[in-house]
Amino acid sequence: MAMWKRNVRWWFFAALVLTMSTGLAQQRVVNVICSVTQNWCEALGPAFKQATGIDVRIVSVSTNEALARLRAEQANPTFDVWFGGTGDPHYEAFKDAITEWYRVKAYNDLSPTMKAAIGTTYIPLYQGILGFGINPKVLQDRGAPIPRCWKDLANPAYRGLIQVSNPNTSGTAYTLIATLVQIFGEEEAFNLMRSYHRNVAEYTRSGVAPRIALGRGEIGIGIQFMHDLVEFKKQGFPIEIVAPCEGTGYEIGGLSLVRGAKNKANGQAFMDWAVSPAGQQVGFRAGIFSLPSNTKTPLIEGIPNPKDFKLINYDAKKYGDPDLRTRLITRWTREVFPLPRR
Amino acid sequence: MAVIGKTSLKGIASGRSPAWMAGLVALVSLLVLPWGRTDRSLLEFDSKLLVLNQAPWLGGVLLAVVAVLTLSSLLHLPLVQRGYALVGLGGAGFLVGVGWLVSTSVPFGVGALLVLTALLVMVGIGLSESGIIQNDPFVTSSILVCSLFVLLFIAYPLFTVLRESVLVKGVFTLNKIQSVLTSPLFISIENPYTDHSEQLLVNLTTLGLGLLGAGLAARGGLRGPRVLTGLGVGLVLGWIIGAGIFGGGAFPTSLYLALIVAPITTALGLVFALLEQRSRAVWVRRSLGVVSLLPLITPPFVFAFALIYWLGRSGIITSDLLGLKTSFLFGINGVAIAQVFAFTPVAFLILRGSVQGLNPALEEASTTLRAHPWQTFRDITWPLLRPGLAAAFLLTIIESLADFGNPMLLGGDRNFLSTEVFLALTGRYDPNEAAVYGAVLLCLVLVIFGLQRLWLGNTSFVTVTGKPGAGNFSPLPVWLERTLQTILALWGLAVVLLYFSIFFGSFVQIWGINNSFTFKHYVDLTNLGLPVLLKTAQLAFISAIIATLVGFLIAYLVSRQQFWGRGLLEVGSMLSFATPGTVMGVAYILAFNTGPWLLTGTGIIIVLALVFRNMPAAVRGVISGLSQIDKSLEEASTLLRAPSSTTLRRVLIPLLIPQLLAGLVFAFVRGMTAISQIIFLISPGNALATVLMLRWIEQGDLGRGAAMATVMILGLLTVILILFAVSRRLGRGTSLEAAV
Repeated sequence: MAMWKRNVRWWFFAALVLTMSTGLAQQRVVNVICSVTQNWCEALGPAFKQATGIDVRIVSVSTNEALARLRAEQANPTFDVWFGGTGDPHYEAFKDAITEWYRVKAYNDLSPTMKAAIGTTYIPLYQGILGFGINPKVLQDRGAPIPRCWKDLANPAYRGLIQVSNPNTSGTAYTLIATLVQIFGEEEAFNLMRSYHRNVAEYTRSGVAPRIALGRGEIGIGIQFMHDLVEFKKQGFPIEIVAPCEGTGYEIGGLSLVRGAKNKANGQAFMDWAVSPAGQQVGFRAGIFSLPSNTKTPLIEGIPNPKDFKLINYDAKKYGDPDLRTRLITRWTREVFPLPRR
Repeated sequence: MAVIGKTSLKGIASGRSPAWMAGLVALVSLLVLPWGRTDRSLLEFDSKLLVLNQAPWLGGVLLAVVAVLTLSSLLHLPLVQRGYALVGLGGAGFLVGVGWLVSTSVPFGVGALLVLTALLVMVGIGLSESGIIQNDPFVTSSILVCSLFVLLFIAYPLFTVLRESVLVKGVFTLNKIQSVLTSPLFISIENPYTDHSEQLLVNLTTLGLGLLGAGLAARGGLRGPRVLTGLGVGLVLGWIIGAGIFGGGAFPTSLYLALIVAPITTALGLVFALLEQRSRAVWVRRSLGVVSLLPLITPPFVFAFALIYWLGRSGIITSDLLGLKTSFLFGINGVAIAQVFAFTPVAFLILRGSVQGLNPALEEASTTLRAHPWQTFRDITWPLLRPGLAAAFLLTIIESLADFGNPMLLGGDRNFLSTEVFLALTGRYDPNEAAVYGAVLLCLVLVIFGLQRLWLGNTSFVTVTGKPGAGNFSPLPVWLERTLQTILALWGLAVVLLYFSIFFGSFVQIWGINNSFTFKHYVDLTNLGLPVLLKTAQLAFISAIIATLVGFLIAYLVSRQQFWGRGLLEVGSMLSFATPGTVMGVAYILAFNTGPWLLTGTGIIIVLALVFRNMPAAVRGVISGLSQIDKSLEEASTLLRAPSSTTLRRVLIPLLIPQLLAGLVFAFVRGMTAISQIIFLISPGNALATVLMLRWIEQGDLGRGAAMATVMILGLLTVILILFAVSRRLGRGTSLEAAV
């Protein structure tokens, strides 16, 4: 009995040491903060490990949250690469010296229009176009017409039928604000947002989220990037996609190297891989339908192509400016969001 | 443990000192282990990081100090003089070491941690041997080390929150507080888009309830202070209710929510507690046993998640049965419903204690004197229950204010203080704004704790000492029992349905749209969620062990030892329990992000956050266990010249094994289900199950989220059942109260 007791103590310590020491000391690793959908984020690790043998450790958070984390850790970054998410925060991160520009190996193959729009601030990863996802049955039941233009959203028939994300947490929502300001001018854009604010059922935290309620028939209109809608539609949800008549904005999804990255070489290898055709096809396999930046990547059916839509000339540099961005989001937070909808 | 050879030579006590062990640890750490770090990893071994290479003069001083103290401890020297030397030199070494870390902002390494702790232990031993403090060496050094931990990991982070709310970019300013407190996110009442004036309505409500309060207070006789109190309470409640209904913003919304949830939850808790004690039906007791388990094993936002299935815009009840397309769930309503489900068992566990403390003889006496049952209840039972009710009420208010997961999922477009802390930091990246929200929340909670003390501190309601007296409670009147049973049955039915929907949702393709059976979500969970679950279990397990050990030590010191600052240590250790999780999370990220205490981005900070979150429960569990152990046992051990460390090890720990085991398991379970305090702290390789689940649910992978919830609930249930089986074999029951 005493033997047993003494042994138990040692077993206990052994178990403790074992639990504490597992998961330490991994050699070749890259830490990625990931702001695309969870499926895509989760698919990256195994694919990259297979291609290069380097382990990927991923934390997936929304774009603004990622910027917040990177900024908080600026003096001593945990992450090496920031993968995906709308471009404006990537631009802001570059301006604030949180990230640095790295010329990826496949740079010459990347889409010239995407490169021209952002210059040497971050690496274009994909292009996504803003649009409406609609659930025709819900609109029909309500006797509401299908929205064709941004201005249609103010129609009282859509009361409680719209979902869109909150710019305080979602890059998508900021792209929306910047788009509307570029189309209508700031005052009119805010008037429009105020008028359709009354129709919004809920502002979601994540930019992708409106499609959930849309697919389940809980709302009729979701404002978000079309490629996320395509993915949902392919899964069998009864939704359709509309491009607004006044023209629409887009994002150039970003890929950035964190300044002061601890695993810089691995991070660069990850970035080279991420914009290679092989890396970009990982997204397709995870059900992603955004237009990849590498022109050599063979496309799949269903990807919304910029050629088919009326796109505005999105001024990524102006609207990526941190001060303007903060001002617009603050203005939205103070002037639009608190207005009651009852 | 070394045998302390104490010999009396010419009346002067001299001998060796146990400080040599700490000295040896310090020496080895100084020579071999890294003093500082360049990065987050604590296991970075590089000769450049040794203290002698990093800061030669510091290394020289510390080595000299430690060597002298260790040597002198091994020699037979007068205790008192050497004690002073230990205190003086050890203390100086400790201060120099800390000073170097703080002034250079080099993150501490393993070596620094061990050296500083060892120096503190030596100071403790010195304090005791020199007679400055009348406790034995072990106790004194434990007090010092525990105080250091409480200071560093509870007081310092909270202080950082308060500091950041007034210190913007290094400059003291009240602008941030002003701009946050006037922001419409914080409070907004007037809405220019409506015809009526919301401010007027709020004022009317405030005034109305104020007058009502004053009137009620004046009913028992016109006494000034009483009426004024009634007026004040009425005005405050009136404003909260008015602003909650007609206005918006995080401040009134959170308070209003708490005011809705607390009375309902307390009432339900009382119903359950009375039923458990006095019901004649067996099924009632059995089901109540299950009820009390639920909050422990359920991740905090799972009820919210299940409610969406039933009452959401396309929920079964709202859409399929009633044909409504309503968003009523998303906002205060939904959060309130979810919180009632989540917190009722907590209120039940608290009230169970005070209901069981009632003495049946009092009620019997009242009945014998021919009082009507109602009269007995009103004049005997109710006053005795009041402290328990107040405790449950106030605790529910605190839980409601601190709750994070439910408002996150069901809050809709209302904002709440606890989620605003999170959004300010992660969405708007404004640490100062987050700090202001955190400070507001912290103040509210502290005010409520103060109220509790004020309210309950005045009157003593103790009627029972030790075990309840003999006698049986008269059963409840039949109609009342029926009513209460119906309430319980309905509640139980709702809970069963909610849990069932999670199980169901984890086995179908797309819940409500494509209800065909699939194992897909479990396959996904195995691939994507299993490593995260294992990591979470690992971190939770480590934190549970540390929390139990530190909690045990603090409980022992606080309840069995007399020393200066005992009250402070107790309050300090309880502070982290009162602090809302999001505030603690923000505090940790603000306090440990840079400088000498750099810990963010590691698994260690998650472990620490969980340790100091769950430790208070262990402390209370052990205190209540200790109160049942007669002090004479320890005195006997002490008289036989055992130092208190031996008494602890050989006498108290064996007697307290059930409490320690329960504390360990509950700390583990709470660690697994925690979200608010750790959502900021996840890092690469340290993903946590609850955070992943929240993200899955938010992005629409509801089935996967449901599968994760199912696995967690079943896994934790198994753990708890094993605990019950084990403690039954040990022959002692386990009280769930310790886990609340």
